[in-house]
Amino acid sequence: MDIRVPRLAEGVESATVANILVAEGATIERDQVVLELETEKAVGPIPSPGAGKVAKIHVKSGDQVQVGQVLISVTVEGAADQAKKEEPARASVKSSAIAAAQAAAPVRENAAAPGADAHRYESRSGFPPPAAPSVRKIAQELGIDLTRVKGSERGGRIALQDLKAYIAALQEAAAAPAPSRETPPPAAKGVDFSKWGPVEKKRMSALRRTVAQRMVESWTTIPHITQMDEADITNLLALMKKYGPRFEKKGTHLTFTPLAMKAAAAALKKYPIFNSSFDEATGEIIYKRYYHLGVAVDTDAGLIVPVVRDVDQKTIFSLSLELNTLVERTRQRKVSLEELQGGTFSISNQGGIGGGHFTPIVNKPEVAVLGLGRAALKPLVKDKKTETRMMLPLALSYDHRVIDGANAVRFVRELIQALENFSENELKEWRG
Amino acid sequence: MEAIKAEIVVVGAGPGGYVAAFYAADKGKKVVLVDRDKRLGGVCLNAGCIPSKALLHATGMIREAEASQARGISFGAPKIQLDKLRAWKDSVLDKLGQGLSGLSQKRGVQVLQGRGHFEDSQNLRVETSEGQKFVHFEKAIIAVGSRPAMPAAFDLGNPRVMTSTEALELEEIPRNLLVVGGGYIGMELGTVYATLGSSVAMVEALSSTLVGIDSDLVRPVMRFAEKAFKEIRLNTKVVKMATSGKQIKVTLAVDGKQIEESYDRVLVSVGRAPNCKDLGLENTKVTLDDKGFVQVNAQRQTADPNIYAIGDVAGGALLAHKASKEAKIAVEAIAGEASSFDGVVIPAVVFTDPEVAWCGLTEVEAKEKGIKVEVARFPWAASGRALTLDRTDGLTKLIIEPETERLLGVGIVGHGAGELIGEGVLAVQMGATARDIAESVHPHPTLSETLMECAEAFYGTSPHTAPRKKS
Ligand SMILES: Cc1cc2nc3c(=O)[nH]c(=O)nc-3n(C[C@H](O)[C@H](O)[C@H](O)COP(=O)(O)OP(=O)(O)OC[C@H]3O[C@@H](n4cnc5c(N)ncnc54)[C@H](O)[C@@H]3O)c2cc1C
Repeated sequence: MDIRVPRLAEGVESATVANILVAEGATIERDQVVLELETEKAVGPIPSPGAGKVAKIHVKSGDQVQVGQVLISVTVEGAADQAKKEEPARASVKSSAIAAAQAAAPVRENAAAPGADAHRYESRSGFPPPAAPSVRKIAQELGIDLTRVKGSERGGRIALQDLKAYIAALQEAAAAPAPSRETPPPAAKGVDFSKWGPVEKKRMSALRRTVAQRMVESWTTIPHITQMDEADITNLLALMKKYGPRFEKKGTHLTFTPLAMKAAAAALKKYPIFNSSFDEATGEIIYKRYYHLGVAVDTDAGLIVPVVRDVDQKTIFSLSLELNTLVERTRQRKVSLEELQGGTFSISNQGGIGGGHFTPIVNKPEVAVLGLGRAALKPLVKDKKTETRMMLPLALSYDHRVIDGANAVRFVRELIQALENFSENELKEWRG
Repeated sequence: MEAIKAEIVVVGAGPGGYVAAFYAADKGKKVVLVDRDKRLGGVCLNAGCIPSKALLHATGMIREAEASQARGISFGAPKIQLDKLRAWKDSVLDKLGQGLSGLSQKRGVQVLQGRGHFEDSQNLRVETSEGQKFVHFEKAIIAVGSRPAMPAAFDLGNPRVMTSTEALELEEIPRNLLVVGGGYIGMELGTVYATLGSSVAMVEALSSTLVGIDSDLVRPVMRFAEKAFKEIRLNTKVVKMATSGKQIKVTLAVDGKQIEESYDRVLVSVGRAPNCKDLGLENTKVTLDDKGFVQVNAQRQTADPNIYAIGDVAGGALLAHKASKEAKIAVEAIAGEASSFDGVVIPAVVFTDPEVAWCGLTEVEAKEKGIKVEVARFPWAASGRALTLDRTDGLTKLIIEPETERLLGVGIVGHGAGELIGEGVLAVQMGATARDIAESVHPHPTLSETLMECAEAFYGTSPHTAPRKKS
């Protein structure tokens, strides 16, 4: 049995080996995590699909690996072994087909691969590329996207030969030295800080490097403006106090973030430009008809932004349930790459730690981000009378290429309205 | 009490459930299969596909014998021994049921008879005749299927108002029968009873029967039904039913007027509802759609990562072979294999006279989705085999993607269409082009030639149709 790099996520074909958790010769159980892979923003555990003994580890920590590549070979013992013996014909047919399709060298779906990038299957009927179910299955197992494989048969049908040729092209490209992906930052290179006192050097983790790279990209390509305001959440806090115990009874914790998400989703619906993306290549603005909100989570390794889908369609209760486990899994770095993609707007709530107004950075390719500080009692003058109210600092950063200041004010006003007049009914729905 | 431990528990032993259980066992998993019925096989075997097809075949003989007169061979009036017909049908179900029991034993699948109820995402309670049993599972596959929908207004508790389940029991041949709902089940069972001698009336609320199927494929069936049934009333709704002595009084609404009629029996075939109630799903994270079907992803996993759902209960096409395919996908996903329902071609067959069968894209769907297609048709009047069978009431058509000539769909109406569609499925699933079909030699004289000739007609080279006009 081989443990391979699984399909990571839409459009993500490579990862870095972060940790190897077993040694050659070790006995492992089914579902035991044997290795961790780091991709863009998350570390994903790779469990073993069966029990056995680690025969060979083909990679080392820090290696760049590709979808379908063999990571660890495991000799299977006992029951599973028996099952194998009982149907040798079937098993060997299948594995030989895959072996034929994939040689020992790693597979890399890289834009530079000859013929690999050239082709993109598109059917006006919206059908997947024509291929026999047997070929489709092999592609699925290797995590290969058949729309990139050029079919040589009638009507563009992909034969096993075509798949093999595609893989061979990928391997050739992988064998060539990879073009350096990022220019190293011109940091304080060469300065010897130890001249002035004791220092400690630590290698930046892959995650930290990715965060750094994305921040630079966002900061340098997006003209940022931050709109600041405050919302009176005195009433909302009272509602939270009232419903908090009921949520506890139903097994979850009621926090402020789901309420802010719900309010933001309503404002996004009213001002769809804040839920859009800007395609720099085509000059198009892409409006999204779904409301997937990223939530910034502070982890030991750095900032990670998992995405909660269809916020507009969920109850506060189900958002709370989902968010609480999502945050927990993010902190343990168990979220999948899929869960980090597809966001349309992000929220960064610093209220839990403290803090006032700040200037969040837009999470590209989104166009706006909402930063929340900690609410505090403040005097508020209303009808010439001064009251003390709980005021929440709001900061909305946005991409000024797409959004103008007047719109930002409207959006923030809408948000404040939503928070100040939050409907109690929303807290009464227990629908999962 | 010690809970039974299972790697996979399958709830429901229909064509979804038992296929999942067997396949998982074949992959070396410890499997428990739960069904409230004693005989495995689900609706398909006990009250669906198998008994309905047995009766359709048996009664079809009557029509065949009748038609035979015109060809100079007569048998005289048929004698119907209802008890014997029912016993034969039941013997078929028994044989298949015993087969399934034997197969599960051979695989070491533990079968529990009883109603299953989820306690949470890892525990299932089973109410057996020996009391409660508990199964602690790693993964569960829900395959509890569906049941006939019975609107409360029709549910009189009177056995004369039947669903498909009772109609298949064949208690008697009613003098007159009202079929409510002109979907495929109403059409099939209406055909059985009409052939056995009942005077069958059908009412349908919509403007046509067999809704959703291409109209050129439905037409020959309608021509048959118009003759075989006493009447077919479209745009008509049943408002009310009431027991009146040995009859059922039915109130119908047509054109804003209400009329009352009496029938010996009524068959309600207005759709099917998922069996999600009393299953304890509220104790899991499983979510339902607005029609009450379990929501699943391409791997048939529900919102609860430990629980998968397949077959009728997961919605989509409510067909046995769809359930079985989903069973394989779910088991493969659980075993950590790459598997997905995306791109799977599911055929459908209506076993009326003549049969209607299709797979892949239909013309109706192409129009709805705005997909540009070319359609090649081959009427069976041009088929030698159809003439020798005295069954020219058929049509074969191919739905073709113009740029690539790839087959996107196949539709057939005619005698034995259900058997012929297999080739269509293979072609569409393989990504075959019309040229591939045209160049594969088909045996003569058979109805399968109509597929080849249809493809040839697309290129204007079918020997048995008029040449295609060059435009
Ligand atoms: C008259 C008729 C004719 C049909 N003809 C065809 C045909 O020709 N071709 C075709 O493809 N399809 C046909 N169908 C549809 C086909 O029968 C269904 O699509 C198929 O049976 C669905 O399979 P399934 O595995 O999802 O569930 P089912 O076959 O419905 O099986 C579900 C099983 O789960 C059990 N169950 C339910 N709840 C529980 C519980 N809580 N605990 C334990 N067990 C439970 C039920 O008793 C049942 O045995 C027909 C249906 C009818 C009614």
